[in-house]
Amino acid sequence: MATIASGVVVSRAVAVPRRTVHLKGYLLVLPAVLYVLALLGFPLVLGIWYSLTNTTVVRDGTFIGLKNFVDAAHDPTFILALRNTLIIATVATAAKITLSVALSFLLLGAFRGRSLLRTLFVLPWTIPVALSTIAWKWMFHSQFSVVNWLLVHAGILNQGIQWLGTPAPAMFAVILVSTWRAVPFGTIVLMAGLTALPADVLDAAKVDGANWWQRFFRVIVPLIAPILFIAILFDLIFTLTELTVVFLLTGGGPVDQTQVLANYALQVGVPGSQLGQGAAIALFMLPVLLLLTVLALRTIARREGAA
Amino acid sequence: MSARAISGVAAPRSTFDFLGLGRWQRAQTLRILALAVYTVITVFPFYWMLITTFKQNSDLYNTDNNPLWFNAPPTFDNITYLLEQTRFLTWMMNSLIIGVGVVLITLITAVPAGYALARLRLPGAEQLGIIIFATYLVPPTLIFIPLTRVVHVLGLQNTIWSLVLVLPTISIPFSVWLLMGFFKNVPFEIEEAALVDGATRWQAVFRVVLPISRAGLAAAGMFAFAISLQAFLYPLVFTSSTAVKPVTLGVVTDLIRGDLFFWGSLMAGALLAGLPVAILFNYFLDDFVEGITAGATK
Repeated sequence: MATIASGVVVSRAVAVPRRTVHLKGYLLVLPAVLYVLALLGFPLVLGIWYSLTNTTVVRDGTFIGLKNFVDAAHDPTFILALRNTLIIATVATAAKITLSVALSFLLLGAFRGRSLLRTLFVLPWTIPVALSTIAWKWMFHSQFSVVNWLLVHAGILNQGIQWLGTPAPAMFAVILVSTWRAVPFGTIVLMAGLTALPADVLDAAKVDGANWWQRFFRVIVPLIAPILFIAILFDLIFTLTELTVVFLLTGGGPVDQTQVLANYALQVGVPGSQLGQGAAIALFMLPVLLLLTVLALRTIARREGAA
Repeated sequence: MSARAISGVAAPRSTFDFLGLGRWQRAQTLRILALAVYTVITVFPFYWMLITTFKQNSDLYNTDNNPLWFNAPPTFDNITYLLEQTRFLTWMMNSLIIGVGVVLITLITAVPAGYALARLRLPGAEQLGIIIFATYLVPPTLIFIPLTRVVHVLGLQNTIWSLVLVLPTISIPFSVWLLMGFFKNVPFEIEEAALVDGATRWQAVFRVVLPISRAGLAAAGMFAFAISLQAFLYPLVFTSSTAVKPVTLGVVTDLIRGDLFFWGSLMAGALLAGLPVAILFNYFLDDFVEGITAGATK
């Protein structure tokens, strides 16, 4: 550190040569960057290499080009997993957006018990997903399902459904749990956005005499669109790679009817020991995820710049 | 800061008035009904855990009973079983050690990085910050297979240290981003005043900037802790012995013996392990949202 000439008031940040400050500054960032590069960047590259080789647990593989991906494309289970991943992502995302928007508006305005209600509403998102999923598994039990009991006693069903044992209800259950868990996230993000809307813009539109629908779709929606967009992209990235719900709730069953890519990659890669094939399945979505990530970051960067 | 406004009872009055929702007070009943229905759906699984925890097996596994309430006196048997016949307390301790380790590693790396990127006017700091944040979006499911090899080479397979090592890759990126936001909000004048008063840069950081940003440090620390308790895939892949499992994994794997599920104890474990995490997470929710939405709410 440079010393300050007596009597002269100089900020040290200015007194120190700029290049030194920069070098030290980058050194402060280095540990975080190295940590992430070593345990996230390196495995990602290693995974891409694995996906192009026939590596197994006991064998260092040799380069086999895109064979793992071609094999996957001919694997009926992979096709099922890919289909289910896309169905779950699409349906669950649509449900999450609809419910999040509805809830964030329902929670607008001051009323008694609002903060208690908010605390309750975020519980599904804050409890570890493995623990809530196991509770749902018990609620969908083949013999003692409380969901069935309620539906039968409400007169909606004549007899209980084998929720996790039949294909369509099992998919429904996976989507339900995934949605139940993620709605609070969308809701609080949207509430943050709604709270921060500039009052003068709203007032101006009101003076213009826009009716309710116009106000909602022409003013509110464009204003919250960037936040909504970020929330959707984040959620899509995590839904497309989601594993815990399927792993614990259905295990991908019955007979792979709820199989998803991440869970299939786990089955092939870990108990199956086919590291190369497993890596290929896990990384299949990478191009899509990259695209979503770039979109999310561009939105964030633009807003950071505008702030 | 706007994050504070979200958490408080202060309502977004302007949006509320703007949409003329006040005129909808007549529809208030409908609104309360909708909120009530959703509250029931939200809370029911937690109620279900709670009541299952305290039910006798004879009550639990009798289809003639009304499952929503006790048909036999409540019991502590399931909790006793969990505490005495499983390694639940070991799992809790493992989770605590893992959590503390992840918090320490996260803060040691993320605080300097966040400070430098936010306050030293480094060229490209904003871009670098966004790139670090981007790594938060790399899901564990993409890299767990090659990571098993890395953990194996380091000799950490089937130890809690594999998780202490690997989980910060999730918490560091987000914490750097979060801390950047907090450090940016400390006025430069305060730090410069300390420097002018003869403090070194280190002193200024430790005596002025960090104390002012303690809410940010707490948020980053709690985030790291919560993330380490939320994790499932890494524990599943890296730990297999009962003695080294964290609690989220132990509860959902060791209370299932073949086809036999110990539902009462399973729910007891889920509740005892899950609720503290949920409450902790709730505390820094606003900071998390602030981090996600970045400049959008400024």
